[in-house]
Amino acid sequence: MMPDRDTLTRQLKSTTGWEGKNRLLVQMARELPTLPASLRTESHRVQGCESQVWLITHWQDQLLRLQLDSDSRVIKGLLVLVLAAYDGQPRAAVAGIDFNGWLAELGLARFLSSSRANGLAAIVQRIRDEA
Amino acid sequence: MPTQPFDAAMLRADFPLLAAQPDLIYLDNAATTQKPRAVLNAERHYYETTNANVHRSAHRLAHAATEAFEGARSTVARFLNAASSDEIVFTRGSTEAINLVAQSWGRSQLQAGDEIIVSTLEHHANIVPWQLLAYERGLRIVAVPLLANGQLDMDAYAALLGNRTRLVAITALSNAIGTRPDLAAVIAAAATVGARVLVDASQAVAHDVIDVQALGADFLVFSGHKAYGPTGIGALWARTELLNAMPPWQGGGEMIERVSFAGTTFNRPPYRFEAGTPPVAQAIGLAAALDWLIALDRAALAAHEDALRLRLETALLARDDVRLVGTAPNKGPLTSLAFSHAHPFDVAQFLDARGIAVRVGHHCAQPLMDAFNLSSTLRISLSAYNVSSDIDTLLAALDDTLELLA
Ligand SMILES: Cc1ncc(COP(=O)(O)O)c(C=O)c1O
Repeated sequence: MMPDRDTLTRQLKSTTGWEGKNRLLVQMARELPTLPASLRTESHRVQGCESQVWLITHWQDQLLRLQLDSDSRVIKGLLVLVLAAYDGQPRAAVAGIDFNGWLAELGLARFLSSSRANGLAAIVQRIRDEA
Repeated sequence: MPTQPFDAAMLRADFPLLAAQPDLIYLDNAATTQKPRAVLNAERHYYETTNANVHRSAHRLAHAATEAFEGARSTVARFLNAASSDEIVFTRGSTEAINLVAQSWGRSQLQAGDEIIVSTLEHHANIVPWQLLAYERGLRIVAVPLLANGQLDMDAYAALLGNRTRLVAITALSNAIGTRPDLAAVIAAAATVGARVLVDASQAVAHDVIDVQALGADFLVFSGHKAYGPTGIGALWARTELLNAMPPWQGGGEMIERVSFAGTTFNRPPYRFEAGTPPVAQAIGLAAALDWLIALDRAALAAHEDALRLRLETALLARDDVRLVGTAPNKGPLTSLAFSHAHPFDVAQFLDARGIAVRVGHHCAQPLMDAFNLSSTLRISLSAYNVSSDIDTLLAALDDTLELLA
């Protein structure tokens, strides 16, 4: 079972300091299954220059379903948050989700300022474009 | 000649940002260096005492501003040992300088079928402007491969040179893996086929003494911000006879002699290539940075930076979970790393949490990363103000981080 939004919020908020949050992200990354090499294709790759990120979206019973992976464990930990925010959401709800606001609330705003480089901004944009 | 031991710790006090953040370990100097007080003061002093537009008005202030700006050009010329300050064109930096050469020299001199040789070491700034020109003009871009240690494959280079080769565009010091190509050999070989040579000195400028007359290249570019100067300013050096034959590439004020609707005549170089009001304060800041560098014992500075790199690389070579990417002899003071079981980005995140600033990514050199079959490395790049305790702190943090990510 992937941790839900409330659990993640609680865990991250109770961990102070960058190093502690980094550790937690690395731990969280373990929960996210590795995408098989056959799915780590160019068309699923999202452009970031510091790490590689893959995203596959589809709709199932009108709900958004996501598969995500990264070769970086810190980014993969952030992808767990992306999953918690968007996976299973109906189309109409996607645009209203303030992912960046949530990251800031969790004390992870520094990943936002570099999100163009780390691919996070592109991931969230692609998800929003899907809806 | 006996030299004073290089006192990096004392030098560090000259840098307000570093003095204000004593816990910061700044090891991203190849991206940009911090600025000494002399540079900040020079810009401030210019705005407080001299600010006016240059080359235009006849009043006293404008005169002083023009003198200061042209004085900065002379300082750049002296720093590069150029034959004349007319050979110095101010640009926004290396990128703009290379684009200037591509658009002006390239478009006026090159035709379909001509070849430009670049090395696999190049920064995108020394690849893409040539590609744009190649698409437009039907040129061929040919890349010199590397040996396994990141050295240029000089045999392959010799084989690539031919009677269609018109230009060799090559770095003096690789920003991604530190290789210093044998420029003298590269330039001598290019001369045998009559090809011009453009040297990208973006990284070399902070570390190496550059003498364009001894070097024998045709064009050389650098950015001020990588040599303790401000952003937004850099320079192109080119031989006078080349500049004289080059058409303008941007139009506007300053670059003209006389404008009429019947036709416009252009100013002489370097002004022909400096359309619009130039970055005056930045040029003055750059001159202050170069003067600051000139005043240092450059040989002692180079020895200091190299000793730090060796201290780092010797310790890293003992680890089996770290691989040095680029091990050419006579490397510049930067070290690129790959890890057996950790992503460079993750390592950098943990280093950042301890106040250690490094760079991860492809370093704007994707063809180079492809050649090493890597998508990114972690780069540690050194500067005059780094001290051996920076290296020791980094090594301890790497120990912890790699254990944590094991
Ligand atoms: C080797 C090299 N060439 C060119 C550039 C481009 O310099 P700038 O972005 O200052 O124009 C850089 C900067 O990263 C570089 O390291």
